[in-house]
Amino acid sequence: MISAFFRKKELRVRQEILKGIYEENLRIIGKKKGALLRQRTFSPNRLLLILCIAAIVVLAGGNYLDAPLLAEKQTAGGTVMRQLPWSAELPNPSDFKAFITNADVSVSRTFGLGVKTIMIDAGHGGVDSGTRGKMGTAEKDIALDIAKRLKSRLDKYGRFHVVMTRSEDVTLPLNKRVELAREAKADLFVSIHLNYLPSKPINIIETYYFGPSADSKTQELAEQENAGSQYGLGEFKEIIEKLGQKLKLQESRELAYSIQKNLFANMEKENGNAYNFGVKRAPFVVLLGAEVPAVLAEVSCLSNRQEEKQLNTEAHRENIAHDLEAGILDYINKGEAGYGADRYAEKR
Amino acid sequence: MAQTDTRKKDEVLFVGIDLGTSRSSISAGNGKREWIESFVGWPKDFIAMQVVGKPVLFGSEALQNRLSLDICRPLEHGVIKEGINRNDEAVKEIIRHLIELSGPASGQKIQAVVGVPADTLKVNKLAIRKAVTEFVHSLMVVTEPFAVAYGMNLLNNSMVIDIGAGTADFCIMHGSIPSEEDQKTVLTAGDYIDEQLFSYLSEKYPNSKFNKNMVRQFKEQYSFVRDTPEEIRVEIPVDGKPVMHDIKNEIRRACESILPALAETTAEMIARFDPEFQVKIKNNIVLAGGGSLIRGLREHLQDALKEYGPCKVSCVEDPLFAGSDGALKLAQDMPSKYWEPL
Repeated sequence: MISAFFRKKELRVRQEILKGIYEENLRIIGKKKGALLRQRTFSPNRLLLILCIAAIVVLAGGNYLDAPLLAEKQTAGGTVMRQLPWSAELPNPSDFKAFITNADVSVSRTFGLGVKTIMIDAGHGGVDSGTRGKMGTAEKDIALDIAKRLKSRLDKYGRFHVVMTRSEDVTLPLNKRVELAREAKADLFVSIHLNYLPSKPINIIETYYFGPSADSKTQELAEQENAGSQYGLGEFKEIIEKLGQKLKLQESRELAYSIQKNLFANMEKENGNAYNFGVKRAPFVVLLGAEVPAVLAEVSCLSNRQEEKQLNTEAHRENIAHDLEAGILDYINKGEAGYGADRYAEKR
Repeated sequence: MAQTDTRKKDEVLFVGIDLGTSRSSISAGNGKREWIESFVGWPKDFIAMQVVGKPVLFGSEALQNRLSLDICRPLEHGVIKEGINRNDEAVKEIIRHLIELSGPASGQKIQAVVGVPADTLKVNKLAIRKAVTEFVHSLMVVTEPFAVAYGMNLLNNSMVIDIGAGTADFCIMHGSIPSEEDQKTVLTAGDYIDEQLFSYLSEKYPNSKFNKNMVRQFKEQYSFVRDTPEEIRVEIPVDGKPVMHDIKNEIRRACESILPALAETTAEMIARFDPEFQVKIKNNIVLAGGGSLIRGLREHLQDALKEYGPCKVSCVEDPLFAGSDGALKLAQDMPSKYWEPL
């Protein structure tokens, strides 16, 4: 009798467990999509930003809508562009293209005496940790480390004044970063970020410069990266007004190419899954506010496990810093004869 | 009742699979039990293809022919290494091979329960699901130590420690599905011992030539902790000549390197548990996995936990199949309605 009672009890436990397993497995399949997507909250701040971005597109649309995308493909040279199905191309008037691809337009000459002050911006920081890999690696830490390495690399040349927006793990709103760049009278502004692609096990390298984005995914990314901005609408308008005269679109773009080319060429060797997503335009606030050539480089992809592991090694971060350095130098020295040969002969 | 059971048996083949870093095993409802080493090798080129005569090789066969193969050990730390195509492929090959070994009759439905390491994140369970789904009709994924516990009927107030190659998994059972808090994984397991042993041996015998595979074999043959009366001498070539080497101390040092983490984690997990049931759990600790074959490990753990009061540690009888047998039992006990949507 007693043993029968125990058997019954055990059976019940067993059934409970079986049901639990079943439900857990259902959860694994069922929540597949929702669980892997990046969670996003819509704060009023963010909504305002979306409005602002829409405003830029409307107000300043005429100014840069004619910036071609086709030219980008040509300048990107030997690298293969893998277009995603969602990345639509923009219209492409040929006169502008001719101007951009004109070899006589040396960027360093446009800049007069050349680049003196370089502002390096390590993305996120403090309470805003950016994206986080599956192993828990935070974007802010990796970005900061790469930024520091890049600074020390650039410092070695002696001819640049290299400034960082943040040199430790502190929260820094985007407008503050832009102000810092302005105060430092930076000639170049490079913002370092890491990508996150929840659904694909690939490593994407892409570089952005300011402009209306060509596709909705980029727009989303911009909204995420802009979340820390504390601009009011009035300030925003003011910036937009300055924009028409001061935004050095083509320089930013050259810089973006140069960085992207170097980053990808080297990343491809290390990670077979690296994809070149090329140079894109997006209305990132950090890029908009800076009145000098400004780019935002998504140097790696934290959602890729292999990449995350590698990012935790010093060598890999140093390599990325090296690639950024190479990109910046290529841009600055563009047009100087014999430069490329020298630099590539140099051993890493 | 009996009639429906036999009919069900004919139509459906239940299998339990233990997907391990080093060895994978399958137990099937038709009584077949097979295991292979989790190595997959593809011939490197046309000539290699001629030599080995097969498009894919598994386990020890793959290891023997490894010079003409691209060898892949796809389950590092017990999970599918994501983003590397060949790994996914290798896992699929292993599953396909295991299911073939279990010999399903044509037209039989296969319903499988697959055990994965305790700490695997959701994404990894998903990855394993993806790899297995192709070859079975319904599939459930459970954690490895849980499958062992279920198979041994240790459903209440017990603790299973599954020491595999890539990971050592801890799981406390308390009469329900173990939650995340009841499970823990540490990375100091079999592979870690191999690494330690390799570095100790290279340090002691710098001129001797040996590789990781040989080191693994030494460990599997001689592993022990504390003390053993026998001498441990192995043959390793020096400048091409076979020379006997004494590796007793190195084996012990390497095997003992996993002990601190093991004892600490066990104590920590018990301490976290409801104090009322702690004593019961301490008397019901079971070691499973290849690591439970290390001589003296059971005694050591029992002594290490002594300061927390009396405890009893035992080993599973058949570490190779404990996981897959438990998974099979789970598959057979699972009501058929639960299988449908999976």
